[in-house]
Amino acid sequence: MTATLFDGIVQGLQLSLLAVGITLIFGLGGVLNLAHGQFAVIGGVAAKLLLDLGAHPVLAGVGGVVTAGLFGVLVDRSLLLPVYRCRGEDRLLLGLILTLGLSFVIDGYLNYAFSEFSLTFSLPIPSVKIAGIPMRTAGLANSLVAIVVFLVLFAFLRSTLLGKTVRSIIENEVGAELCGIDPARTRMIIVGLAAMMAGLAGITQGLFSSLGTEMGPEFTILGLLVAVVGGVRSINGTLVAGVFLGIVNAFASRYIGAYVAYIILLSVAMATILARPGGLLARST
Amino acid sequence: MIVRVDAVHVAYGSASVLHDVSLEASTGEAVAVIGPNGAGKTTLLRAMIGMIQPTRGRISYDGKDCNGLRAFEIARLGMVYVPAEKELFPGMTVFENLELGSYRNVRNTSERLSYVFDLFPRLEERRQQLAGTLSGGEQQMVAIGRALMGCPKVLLLDEPSTGLAPKVVEELYRQLAKLKTTGLTLIVTEQQVQLVLSLTDRAYVLEQGLIRLSGKSADVLRNPGIKAAYLGVA
Amino acid sequence: MNNWPLCLRYIDLVLLSILLALVPAVSAGSPYYLRIATLAVVYMGWTVGFNLIFGHTKQLFLCLGALAGSAAYVTVVLIQHFQLSPWITVPLGVSAATALGAIFSYVSVLRGLGVIFLGVVTLAFSLIFQNLILGLRQLTNGETGLVTRGLGFSLLDHPVAAYYLFFGVLALTLVVYCSVMDSRMGFAFRALSDDELTAELSGIDVTACKIIAATLGSAIIGLFGALYGFYNGIISPSVFSLVNVDIPVLISLLLGGMRTRLGPIIGAALFAVIEEFVRPFGQLDVLVYGVLLIVLFVAFREGLLPMLRQALGLIPQLAIFPTVRETDDRYKKRTLM
Repeated sequence: MTATLFDGIVQGLQLSLLAVGITLIFGLGGVLNLAHGQFAVIGGVAAKLLLDLGAHPVLAGVGGVVTAGLFGVLVDRSLLLPVYRCRGEDRLLLGLILTLGLSFVIDGYLNYAFSEFSLTFSLPIPSVKIAGIPMRTAGLANSLVAIVVFLVLFAFLRSTLLGKTVRSIIENEVGAELCGIDPARTRMIIVGLAAMMAGLAGITQGLFSSLGTEMGPEFTILGLLVAVVGGVRSINGTLVAGVFLGIVNAFASRYIGAYVAYIILLSVAMATILARPGGLLARST
Repeated sequence: MIVRVDAVHVAYGSASVLHDVSLEASTGEAVAVIGPNGAGKTTLLRAMIGMIQPTRGRISYDGKDCNGLRAFEIARLGMVYVPAEKELFPGMTVFENLELGSYRNVRNTSERLSYVFDLFPRLEERRQQLAGTLSGGEQQMVAIGRALMGCPKVLLLDEPSTGLAPKVVEELYRQLAKLKTTGLTLIVTEQQVQLVLSLTDRAYVLEQGLIRLSGKSADVLRNPGIKAAYLGVA
Repeated sequence: MNNWPLCLRYIDLVLLSILLALVPAVSAGSPYYLRIATLAVVYMGWTVGFNLIFGHTKQLFLCLGALAGSAAYVTVVLIQHFQLSPWITVPLGVSAATALGAIFSYVSVLRGLGVIFLGVVTLAFSLIFQNLILGLRQLTNGETGLVTRGLGFSLLDHPVAAYYLFFGVLALTLVVYCSVMDSRMGFAFRALSDDELTAELSGIDVTACKIIAATLGSAIIGLFGALYGFYNGIISPSVFSLVNVDIPVLISLLLGGMRTRLGPIIGAALFAVIEEFVRPFGQLDVLVYGVLLIVLFVAFREGLLPMLRQALGLIPQLAIFPTVRETDDRYKKRTLM
């Protein structure tokens, strides 16, 4: 049972890494990025291309992450411009539809151009024993990456000026602007960072099992669910929600079965959203 | 003239909110804009800070034309707006709120901070408290303090006394009077006519989007029409 | 205009019905084109339903395929396993879809869920549906699907008869839609879509309106879904996937214009044409749809029809594509909706 728990945490951290980008983009820009899964796939595809060109795996990984980030910045400065010009619910709706359209464009192209694609890394040591429980090193490596990213993120948000600027925009965009903060520039930086984190999640997926170009929509939906369950503007919530849903999924898979597990995961997510629309860590529902 | 508003019109669709409004303030002056609810006082300030684009007219600050500039650009130039809603960052501490106010000149943060804490000692006591948990008066102090952190040359205050207890309002205006002596230009809108007219040098009366009266505060205060309408004196 | 005889008030729909009725004659020789036309009519039906749910009451249901599929699967499975007549199972299937739509609407209105939450919850449901069908392999035959040829109404096995059946159902749907929109409920919808808060404060029961719209819309979607299940000869999870149902309907509604009565019809017809042009792209069709969505939403916020109407502005409402009585444009905010 502890093995399942650990498994769940590993998967959960992966989910959180994927979802935190969605939380950031929504918190800062009021845009729910339905193409986020595709950012992850782009990261993986870029890494694989670099690997094929003979690059060292670590370099390929970094290259993939950077590519995803640059792509995110590109999208922010082009496609999302009309979205940012709207306010409130309009922005939400336009953002949803445009990112949905973007996800199709990316999906359509990648599935066409890289139809036989699969990204798999393998680590030299396949498994390690922790507290007497055999664990895949891939899983451990991924968890380590996710934890480091989150620690850096928390430190960044809490202590640096840019981080506080980000938090201020999430708290109150108008107030931030009145302080002389340019929300558009900060947004661009954060969308880039969010896309990088998605790219990283895509690459670690390749490490854990394998990444295919068709996985974009699945990533997006999982990321969305985790982000919304965690309270779509709360980064702490995203972390907690990811681990929570990861554990739910692990237990459901282990004790019930694959298809049903997915249904249970989705149902639990739905139920949590309906029970606590403000998010898991919200102070009031 | 550090601030000049020239024949500004603002309309929402076909509804005209400000009509041919002109206003000016020189360095170190304190100017009041008074008028009833819905007169357009907030709209005027928002137009000055770039949150609303006027349909006609010009706004200039420190010799520069402000039309088309975004709010953050104008804030960076030194004209800072403190809205009636304060627009603080509720989940962040007082300290962090103030810190973000000095975004445009990060180097001076610590000395500006001591200046603000000097002006509002209560804030220093509460520096680690979340802004969302403060009382109305304290929030107003944070809002003004945050605005001051950026070393502004012009401060636009929208009804700073709203929702505050009379004693708190008195204290607030004492601090505003102190500010006036530092060479800061103040433009204050208020419904509490008596108070703001005793603080400021000149005043404008805005009613239904039009400037009905302007002149020295003392004269405006003595004006019988104003006395009847705003001070309940027959 | 309201005092005019019924025929003239709905002249646009009458003309369109005549056009649609003539299609089989025009496409006489080609079963292929007749099939496309029939599919277009199914899209039209689905889009009218979605227009009620999303266009009029702003409830972002991203589970249209799941609703249509639920109706279809319930209908077919009941026939297969209980040998019931389609006359019984189709209403049951439609009830299932209707109940689902009503529940989603009720719960979301109750909890005050905003657009994104409802969208995400219904998206999750779409996935649940897909996985449920795959998982309940005993009943549903999983990914391979169930053959429906011969199971349903015999009419649906003959191409021309099938077309007219769908045409008839669409006509019925439009009659219901128009009656609702011309009633007090329709007035409430229009007030609601303009400004929900004001509508509520004016005494309109926004909750009831939304739930009724969602229920009716889901019923329509379910009905077309069940009938389509028979017509298609086979039902499988992919027949009712997001790509095959939700996307066409979304694009159709955007193309034609939300909250108009001709919009869904024209939009779906346009989409069917676009689908044919996109076919040679093969796998890249999804890409084209993506580009289409983006361009449509950025360029034509409200849909083609309203855009056209604005462009032809001065022509009185009667002459071209009259719609449900719109509120005075002066008060229309320049918003997305």
